[in-house]
Amino acid sequence: MTSASPFVLSVIARHPSGRMPDHNFRYWIIAPSVFLLLLIGLFPLIYSLVVSFQQITMTDYDTSFAGLTNYAQLFDDARLWQSIAHTLIITIIALPVELVFGLAMAHLFLERMPGRQIFISLIVLPTVISPVVAGATWRLLFDQRYGPINQVIGWFAGHEVVMLWNITPHLVYPAILICEIWQWTPFMFLILLAALSNVDKSLTEAAELDGAGFWRIFFKIVLPAIWPVMAIAILIRGVDLFRIFDVIWALTSGGPGTMTETISIYTYVQGFQQFESSYTAAIAFLIVGLMSVIVIWAIRRMGLAK
Amino acid sequence: MNLIKRLGLTAVGALIAATTVSAAWAESAADRAVKEAQKYKGQTITIVWEAGLQSLDPLNFSGPLWEKLTGMKVKVVEVQTAEMFTKIMQEYRAGTGAYDALNVMPSWMPDLANAGALEPLDAYVDKYGYKDEFQKIAPIYRDNWAKANGKIYGLPDDGDVFIMYFRKDIFEDPKIKDAFKAKTGHDLSVPKTWKEFGETGSALTEILKPQNVYGAAFFRQPPYTMFMFQERFRNEGGKFFDAETMKATINSDIGVKVLTDMRNENKFMPPGVEQWGFVENLAAFMAGQTAMTISWPPYGRWAAGYGTDDKALNWVPKSTVGGKVGYALPPGGHPELAAGFDLSIASTSKNKDAAYLFIQWLNSEDISLQRVKLPTTLRDPFRDSHYTDAGYLALWPDAKDYLKTLKDASLAGIFDLSVLQTDKYEEVLRQAIGKLWAGEDPKAILDAAAGEWDGITKKIGVDKQKAVYADWASKSGAYPK
Amino acid sequence: MGYSTDGTCEMTNFSLAATRRWKLACRYGLASLLLVFFVFPIYWLFIISFKTPDEIFHFPPVWYPKSFQFANYAVLFKDGDAVSVLNSLILAGVSTVIAMIFGTMCAYSLVRFKTGGEDFAVWVISQRLMPPIAIIFPIFLLYVYLGWVDSYGGLIILYTAFNLPYVIWMMRGYIEDIPLELEESALVDGCSRWAVLWKVVFPMARTGLFATAVFTFVFAWNEFIFALVLTRTEVVTYTVQVTHYFGGQSNFWAKIAAMSALGTVPVFITVSLLQRFLVRGISMGAVKG
Repeated sequence: MTSASPFVLSVIARHPSGRMPDHNFRYWIIAPSVFLLLLIGLFPLIYSLVVSFQQITMTDYDTSFAGLTNYAQLFDDARLWQSIAHTLIITIIALPVELVFGLAMAHLFLERMPGRQIFISLIVLPTVISPVVAGATWRLLFDQRYGPINQVIGWFAGHEVVMLWNITPHLVYPAILICEIWQWTPFMFLILLAALSNVDKSLTEAAELDGAGFWRIFFKIVLPAIWPVMAIAILIRGVDLFRIFDVIWALTSGGPGTMTETISIYTYVQGFQQFESSYTAAIAFLIVGLMSVIVIWAIRRMGLAK
Repeated sequence: MNLIKRLGLTAVGALIAATTVSAAWAESAADRAVKEAQKYKGQTITIVWEAGLQSLDPLNFSGPLWEKLTGMKVKVVEVQTAEMFTKIMQEYRAGTGAYDALNVMPSWMPDLANAGALEPLDAYVDKYGYKDEFQKIAPIYRDNWAKANGKIYGLPDDGDVFIMYFRKDIFEDPKIKDAFKAKTGHDLSVPKTWKEFGETGSALTEILKPQNVYGAAFFRQPPYTMFMFQERFRNEGGKFFDAETMKATINSDIGVKVLTDMRNENKFMPPGVEQWGFVENLAAFMAGQTAMTISWPPYGRWAAGYGTDDKALNWVPKSTVGGKVGYALPPGGHPELAAGFDLSIASTSKNKDAAYLFIQWLNSEDISLQRVKLPTTLRDPFRDSHYTDAGYLALWPDAKDYLKTLKDASLAGIFDLSVLQTDKYEEVLRQAIGKLWAGEDPKAILDAAAGEWDGITKKIGVDKQKAVYADWASKSGAYPK
Repeated sequence: MGYSTDGTCEMTNFSLAATRRWKLACRYGLASLLLVFFVFPIYWLFIISFKTPDEIFHFPPVWYPKSFQFANYAVLFKDGDAVSVLNSLILAGVSTVIAMIFGTMCAYSLVRFKTGGEDFAVWVISQRLMPPIAIIFPIFLLYVYLGWVDSYGGLIILYTAFNLPYVIWMMRGYIEDIPLELEESALVDGCSRWAVLWKVVFPMARTGLFATAVFTFVFAWNEFIFALVLTRTEVVTYTVQVTHYFGGQSNFWAKIAAMSALGTVPVFITVSLLQRFLVRGISMGAVKG
């Protein structure tokens, strides 16, 4: 990555007539984006902040200033912290699996092969299905009576198996993870495929001629080349995993009990079902605060904003 | 003699006067609504209705008919059941006036009414002469579902109740009866208590194993089982709260017994029954694979094949048990009036009179009778006249038993717990059921649930909730008499 | 793969061809396994739309219907539910195009000029961190105030805004890959900044544009919660329409499946059509020369 200043200077040097590069160009091109983001982003943020300091519940439209009571309540709320733990478990397992799986798949399809386009178009389908429907479909697949999965397991086992994937404690997380990984690995796959196909072939070919093995080439040449895109994909997928909702809602509704309740589900229950508007706003800011810290750390660590 | 004659004449005169007066009111509520609605010709009103099968009624039948009679257009906003409460509250808070009439579950009424989202209907009932026909709604629904804080907020419009369906052919089969007698020492009969149910179900499952038929099955998913728990718990004598202290008493021995029994019953039900919802249970019963089940009234109509030929119902598995289904009250004898719907008016509506006239018309004797007989309807009989209607009785051979059972259910039924923020309490119960199927100890589950209930009550305000609970508990359908 | 594991040149032509064929066979084998894993659930879902209710609720499960019923699809068109697919198409399509244009421009600024520095970049990504549940109500209020509820324009603006952070961040990565010399030589040739953007940057970032556009479209297509709250009857999207079929007393699996199939077809076509932009082509030569 070259820095900007020598570039600008060199451009100036090439235009001795003094026609400066349009300094405002850089601002013009971010203007529409900034405008839209402010329009949708600013008002809700301020509104939520204000509401989080009030006491609005389902039946009490109490807009008096209540200070930090809602925030204080956050610390006592065991269910909230459990939901964060559940969310972290899912994120920490699913993210690396999707990354490695997606990378492997991208390698598989990198070189031309007849029919590659069909394969890719079909493999991307899981990401395209509405998450609500995906969750419902896997719920049906895992069904004891009407689903093929237990039927197939039964064939291998030789007898009918009873596995209640969305109810039995030791099966719920595997079920959720399978569905989630199934749906989003194609996402990583496609992005990494685009990145891999941008890798300068001349570099890798030269390294091959020098006798370097596959892994060496991968770690020393390919990985650094695709890192900018891969890091962002990890960041985006990580953030989205943190907000996972539809799949779990369709499979288990956060159950049994609150065993698979993630932070999004808990927020939904508080905000939509129980209309604890103020408390929900406080939860939201806690999440944003936490995630901002993590994201900023990740950005720094991955060198994304250099 | 003169005195008596004079009294007699006065009496006759009064009688004539009274008849003349009532003759003026003899025009039905439906006609009256149509007449009054003429002045709103050309207007559009919106009504929130449960999405799916339910909304076929206003979309295909009542909406177009109303428009034909009055020139008033009806816009149906279909909302998924789980989202209805939220959408109604959000629109109310935003004050948009987007909704005029609403479908509301009775258990939401205290919350919505106290939040101010519903319009009190007493004045409209008087203004448009609906008192008479309102009274003719079956008492169980009329007295328990319509009011909050002493005011009418909704017109009960759907006779939801849990009914037991059983296979007459199995219960009357001599070979099975003999096998049952040999196995248990009693005669085979439709169970009247839960203890009998456990016995009957497990024995039947064993006897019918070669035919791959089970004694019974239920929709064991938490949202449905939550209703069944409310029913069984109260049938066995349990009370939700201590009326004085408002401490939750669901973790009493009765509660533990109910949960333990439910889990034990699953053993003689098809494997995986804990996952079953409304449709899975229906499919199994319709395919003839279960001898007993409990559900809402539509099962009875569909099992008899009524309406299932309609394209809209093509998702219902075809019944293989037509003519073989018997109807009874669930064990315990006091069925739960689970869920249900009222018709209400949004307080932020800009067309309250127009909207009210529509719902009065929908709910009236004439129109409601037609609506509950629609082949695709999910609205169940809820008026005294529905239970005895000749047209309904003719719909299928056993309809008379069906309607009789529904009527008996309405006389003995109990209705959902309905206090402030009911959904919070129900959510705790739903999760308790989930934990039950996951294998946790019933006592521990209920102790935790009771603790959560107490926490909720404390947050709402013990005195506030006590008053609302007392109001609920005083209603005829709160606890079995 | 771009690089192979053995570097010896002493293999005969014959065994080299055999190895290549064996490798290809392995690749096809793996690819087919992957296909089964990823596509089987979708097959299961779609096949439901062709089953009769008895087949759907049959035990043991029916893997292949006796005959294909198109009745479910006919019902969707007759009832007007299929319109929701069109609505989703309009909303997702327009918002994707706008987001790609605005977002790529913004990303370019961030990469080449470091506009706003790290803070601005972080602020952009932070727009994606807020859980929708928390801000849905204020946005609802805002939209009521602006009269944008249940309108195409309102939702398009919303979807565009929500996809911008994703587009900006993804395109940053892909733009960083573009060698600076290409732009410099274009400027030397007298191109204005705007021309450089359109004639050099956008084409060079084709692969990234495609990959990003696909998922931007998919995110907008599958968006549920805002569509749920901000629409009533006019602009019902396919995701909201599908949930109407999940009821308390009825699960229209056949309709769910048919609707999902209808809703997947446009995206599938889009992905297939844009396939050819996925692999980088000719332009590498321009740099090395």
